[in-house]
Amino acid sequence: MKIKIGLEKVGKALLLFIFSVFTAFPFFWMVLSALKTKAEIMDVSKFFPAEFQWNNFYEVIFHSPLLKYVWNSLFVSVLTLAIQIVTAAMIAYAIVFMEFKGRKILFAIIMGTYMLPTAATYIPSYIILANLNLLNSFTGLILSNCVSIFGIFLLRQAFMQVPVGVIEAARIDGASQWKILWRVVCPMTKSSFITFGLMNFITCYNSYMWPSLITDSDEKMMVSQGLRKFFIEGGAYGTEWPLVMAGSTLIVLPLLILFAFTQKWFINGIGGDTGMKG
Amino acid sequence: MKKKLNLRKVSSAWLFVIPALIPLIVFWIYPIFKSIYISFTDWDYMSPTYNFVFFDNFKALFKDQRFYDALWNTIVFTLGTLLPTIVLGLLLALLLQKSFKGSGIIKFILFSPWITPTVAVSIVWTWIYDPGSGIANVILNFFGLPGLQWIKSSDTAMLSVIIVTVWKSLGYAMIFYLSALEKVPRELFEASGMDGAKSWQRFRDVTIPCISPTTFFLMIITMVNSLQAYDQIQILTQGGPSGSTRTLLYMYYQLGFEEFNMGQATAVAIVLILITVLLSVVQFTGSKKWVHY
Repeated sequence: MKIKIGLEKVGKALLLFIFSVFTAFPFFWMVLSALKTKAEIMDVSKFFPAEFQWNNFYEVIFHSPLLKYVWNSLFVSVLTLAIQIVTAAMIAYAIVFMEFKGRKILFAIIMGTYMLPTAATYIPSYIILANLNLLNSFTGLILSNCVSIFGIFLLRQAFMQVPVGVIEAARIDGASQWKILWRVVCPMTKSSFITFGLMNFITCYNSYMWPSLITDSDEKMMVSQGLRKFFIEGGAYGTEWPLVMAGSTLIVLPLLILFAFTQKWFINGIGGDTGMKG
Repeated sequence: MKKKLNLRKVSSAWLFVIPALIPLIVFWIYPIFKSIYISFTDWDYMSPTYNFVFFDNFKALFKDQRFYDALWNTIVFTLGTLLPTIVLGLLLALLLQKSFKGSGIIKFILFSPWITPTVAVSIVWTWIYDPGSGIANVILNFFGLPGLQWIKSSDTAMLSVIIVTVWKSLGYAMIFYLSALEKVPRELFEASGMDGAKSWQRFRDVTIPCISPTTFFLMIITMVNSLQAYDQIQILTQGGPSGSTRTLLYMYYQLGFEEFNMGQATAVAIVLILITVLLSVVQFTGSKKWVHY
């Protein structure tokens, strides 16, 4: 019996080990490849570089536009997120705590859009931005992305847990709806706001398809598109794999570090609050 | 007086709704209807005029072998990512259910691909898959297996894209299952009088039904994500070789933004929407039989 339990433990540990290695390996390989010379990276028999080529990082940081792309992504993501939080909180508050005609229909429409493939809206959205002269601009990127249906869902789910009595009491005290939302409801559902913020920041920062359709100037590129361009450009004279890997590392590592410090919000947030019973 | 008060109440509710509703209409709802409209025309984006062709775009689509190949690729890709993500996600959650020394780090590792940009990690995978100097074939050879052409051959390209997609979404499914497993009431095990019963039976009769809402939710989410997958396909294969990884969404992208055949492209988009709606309806109706809230 004891042997059987022991075997089971070893088996479990082994399985977890294999999955962890499989998951972490691409990251490990990315960093290692970034530190190789061009000759080393092409030679499959050389697992480790003879000497760490830190120069690759220097090259990418100072002689490529990658940092500008990072700045663009940060700028767009932070602004988009700020607007998304305000719009989602307001409409979720209205849906949960306010009485008005069409409330149910409104929620049904939002729910319907949740599952639709976003890409199906891209051609008309592209035309709208072109007509507004907002192609190739941060304003266009932010405007077209300033409502998060996922966020509305998440906050609605959280707001429904707030006791109605609390809202009533605040109203009797004469607080305005706006104040109740930000001074009473928001602090009570803080964790959902944080989850919303982190998830949507990551999604926006990483986004590729839509930004790459509406931007083509170097000045306005976000990281994913910029990295792709950097990767393709080398193609003319053979991809500079060590530099491409150094670029990828510079983009991926900060996100992993951010995640290390905010892990619990992701894990509790998506597991716990996303409104699944059971 | 009372009427005035109500009016104020109503208008303030709409004030809260409008900031989200206007962009929602402009960039979501209106484009859906506009897409339907464009799908009945032969518009090429460049010329200011266009003709109404009614169902010609759809007819042409249903006669096009490319469309059926893309449809088939979409099915393979969706099922090929859905099943491993759910099964392996649950397996990992079961293994990590009881915390032990180091389980936090393992969770961190397993979830980390999800937060990294698909483009960046797909570029890394492109390098891993390289038939000549990539590490994937080195590993295969190490185990005595012959190397593959990976994304360079139409036989293995789809598999390669599926591996990257599952790699990226596995941790996400695991996290959902972890919190679902936490909520399985302990009493149920005892109440069902199965103290002595085999753990497999307990798993099948108690755990699986208890976590079925999560399974259902993950099926919908993974399906929607797979139907919309673009980033990894664009980086790894651009739909190739010879169309072997061209999904409906990728076909939509090529028709619309490479060939500027807006009518055909929106027709594909409409088909994609219909498939999503159909699959959701099927899953929702089917779920009544096996999902226990």
